[in-house]
Amino acid sequence: MELNLADIAFWLLSAISIAGAATAVFTRDVMRLTLGLGVFLLSVAGWFLYFGHAFVAIAQVFVYVGGVLVLILFAIMFLHRSEQGLPELTSRHALDSAVVAVGVAVLVITSLREYVTGQLPTVGGADAEIGVSLLGAYLPHFEAAGVLLLAALVAAVVIVGGEKR
Amino acid sequence: MNFIVVTMVLFSLALYGVLTRRDIVGVLASIEMMLGSATLLFVGLSRTTTVATTITPDPTHTGAIALILMVTAAAGAAVGLALLVALARKTARTRTDEITEVKG
Repeated sequence: MELNLADIAFWLLSAISIAGAATAVFTRDVMRLTLGLGVFLLSVAGWFLYFGHAFVAIAQVFVYVGGVLVLILFAIMFLHRSEQGLPELTSRHALDSAVVAVGVAVLVITSLREYVTGQLPTVGGADAEIGVSLLGAYLPHFEAAGVLLLAALVAAVVIVGGEKR
Repeated sequence: MNFIVVTMVLFSLALYGVLTRRDIVGVLASIEMMLGSATLLFVGLSRTTTVATTITPDPTHTGAIALILMVTAAAGAAVGLALLVALARKTARTRTDEITEVKG
């Protein structure tokens, strides 16, 4: 079997993303959880590049790795500042949950399998076209996403700092 | 076809994390991973040919919708973590099985 560059990229990205996700799910250390999540989110950006969406990949790095991951780090630092060292993460219901997770995966794979026949050779949309469609056909969605972000920010401030002194 | 399996492995790992983690930080991180792998499946499926439909996916639309999905997930994470911090301040509990009251 001859490997081309696309295959190598595919298997490399698969290995990195699954390793990151497995670390985040199975580790008992809070910092390793954050690190695994970071590896996973960066590999998702790599997957977007693999599928030809360079703009979405950059947005993934900015929004997730630059935003959400830092947010989670702040939350961990805020919550566990007083105790001696970081606490151990624990899990439970391992077997039942594994059955549910594998069941869902098998269900989706078997239902999608027969409809997917092959991969399109085309590359993803040009960045300028994405901008045009966000301000054209998807303008209502774009505005709604903006309002949602504003509402989420205001809600976060109100929930965390809302107490009167 | 292969990427569907990879995406669903990622999704089921994240689902396993949501179901088993006792700490809310872990649950929130796993929810982010579920959203990420769902977006990944969506983007990947736009690059495939199907027998069910004759519609050719437009990569421009995929990019726009993926961006909006990303923003929605980020907003959810912000509110979720804010709720977690507020809860920890009020009750000093950050584990799912320690929270047994609805009253604040």
